[in-house]
Amino acid sequence: MNILGIELRRSAALGAGLITVVVGAGALYVATGRWSSGWMALAMTIREYLLLLWPLALAAGAWQGRREHRAKVGELFTTTARPRAQRMLPVLGAMALTLAVAYLLVTVAGIGWIASTARHLPLLNFAVVTGVGALSLIGAAWLGLGIGRMLPALVTAPALAVAGVLLIFLSVIRLPDWLAAAISPVHGTVPFHAYQTIDNRVSGALAISMAALAAAGLLLFVADGWRTRTAALVPVVLGLVVATAVVPRDEGVLNWPVDPVARELVCTDDAPTVCVSRVNANVLDALTPLAREGLTALAKLPDAPTAVHEDTRTLMSDDVSSPEDGIVRIPVRIDKSGGLAHPAAVVTEVVRGLGVGYDGQCQNRDDVVERAAAYWLLAREPQSDVGVIPGMIEESPEINVEAVALWRGLRELPEDEALDRVTAVRDALRLCTDVTGILSGTAR
Amino acid sequence: MMRAVSAAETAVTTHPWAVHAEGLRVRAGRHLAVDGLDLALLSGVHGLLGPNGAGKTTLIRALATVLNPAGGRLTLLGRPVDGRSDLRSVRRTLGYLPQHFGFYPRFTVREFVGYMAWLKEMPKAGVAAAVQRSIDRVGLTSKADARLKTLSGGMLRRAGIAQAIVNDPQLLLLDEPTVGLDPEQRLDFRDLLRDLGTDSCVLVSTHLVEDVVAACTDVLVLNEGRLVWQGTPEGLTTQGDQGDAGDSPAERGYSAVLRRHRAEAAQ
Repeated sequence: MNILGIELRRSAALGAGLITVVVGAGALYVATGRWSSGWMALAMTIREYLLLLWPLALAAGAWQGRREHRAKVGELFTTTARPRAQRMLPVLGAMALTLAVAYLLVTVAGIGWIASTARHLPLLNFAVVTGVGALSLIGAAWLGLGIGRMLPALVTAPALAVAGVLLIFLSVIRLPDWLAAAISPVHGTVPFHAYQTIDNRVSGALAISMAALAAAGLLLFVADGWRTRTAALVPVVLGLVVATAVVPRDEGVLNWPVDPVARELVCTDDAPTVCVSRVNANVLDALTPLAREGLTALAKLPDAPTAVHEDTRTLMSDDVSSPEDGIVRIPVRIDKSGGLAHPAAVVTEVVRGLGVGYDGQCQNRDDVVERAAAYWLLAREPQSDVGVIPGMIEESPEINVEAVALWRGLRELPEDEALDRVTAVRDALRLCTDVTGILSGTAR
Repeated sequence: MMRAVSAAETAVTTHPWAVHAEGLRVRAGRHLAVDGLDLALLSGVHGLLGPNGAGKTTLIRALATVLNPAGGRLTLLGRPVDGRSDLRSVRRTLGYLPQHFGFYPRFTVREFVGYMAWLKEMPKAGVAAAVQRSIDRVGLTSKADARLKTLSGGMLRRAGIAQAIVNDPQLLLLDEPTVGLDPEQRLDFRDLLRDLGTDSCVLVSTHLVEDVVAACTDVLVLNEGRLVWQGTPEGLTTQGDQGDAGDSPAERGYSAVLRRHRAEAAQ
């Protein structure tokens, strides 16, 4: 007779697992674009959804804890040979098992979506981030079991759910990063860049906190008096102390650290070279002809760039690209199916700066002039970035009107003269000097 | 941690007394419900009679190791029960049906009895057969896979008895086991009791004097926390006369025992 099987059938564990799978997988598939880029994006997005799943596990545990209390089996079970702690193991085990399996099933549901497109698999990090997520659910459920048995009121489960949401939310926005990282299962999971990871020391600290919560829940659940219930504070305090001692204080490690291997470039074997990050390697084939089309347009310029690289800089990094290194850097975007997003924008993005990267410092960049010059190289009439460049939702109409006027002026010039002026703009951009009037020939 | 239980640990052992109490005192909350009880029980079926508040349930709960003695000495199956000793081996050979027993409503009868077998640390190999046997013995074979929440009161009581006997207990404590049983089921239950009492010590607390007379080898009458009479069912029937309350000689004997004890206490 399988006791765990009996427990699974009679307790709320299966229901809790089912809710976890439905809510977790449902949330995942509502916005596949958030995690379709790769394995770590998937692992972190599921961790992020612990904002929902963690309070649910807490409430499910409390619900089961209340049921345990209401069953009034205490007297009958007390007269049996198994010690109290052992008697509680089936329900604790059933809850832990179903929630861990449910978390893994949500992960598997996501893997099914990305398996054919995702390339870079940092196995250890992926396993650790996923494992700590599952542990977080177990910690929540066991804590809920303990509290639900101690306070077996109807309101306990919903109150704990609300408290869980508030705890996670407030810990992220109100606590110092190092403390939030040590106690919040969603800290550091919001995606800011494609190479994002969670440092294993941060995962370790969180695992300690969650294991401590689980231990506290276990003590509360098996407690037969206030002495044991009070003792449940010990693992909480101990866990917090150890977790905060272990967690790193370096902001760069705590917040959206980069996985350097994911950011490494992988390139085409033949020239002109096109490179993307390892995490986006699956779109290299789709990107290459588009990037080369852009390079071909730029090749009209003397000393033109000869390669296109994915722009792997992140908001948090100090990397600055050199404007004169012969490489055009463009963002690579992944669509919700894991393929190349917005392919129509690639050629424009390669050409639009005339091959001169923006270093974030130069104040002499001019959208009108650059657009007119770029579209002259592309032999197309300029058009607004809105609808072409992803993320552009608004643009002053005058920009394109003026760009078209400049472009028409270039078109009326002899080819060599027009090319000289466009080249002069490119050279000015490289030097960060004023480009006003270069295309129209009015510059002094 | 969990460990396997060897057959030797659950083997039937022989003790001079299944239950031995001297000056036993047990509290029910603040009230001293059992006060200076002397008791010695061997194998057989012992009927425990007494009015409401006599201390029957408190005594049974103490013998079931739910309550610790507040004073005196209590030995179960040769092991002292004093709140400090390890009762694990005693509990392995104990069967208990509380007056109001809690259960998980989603359990089937088979799961409930099987779960109790696990709690009683029965050797895993024999559990399935023992569960089926105990379910058969209480006449719930056709309901073995029904959920407890779907059972009638009488059936639920029988499921409770099934869990109590699943481990072939040496000491079986039944508190009001016939509540909710129909007359036919009560007759079957009496047969079961007689069968169980051949090898074990069975203590049955009840208000139904006829059950005691029909099925028990020994009768105990408890009043105000003390044992006021002990003897055979036949002996009980000779205690009363036509003037005592009751519809049968046994009921009149029971009334007479209580009447005399109250009179003695009043003096």
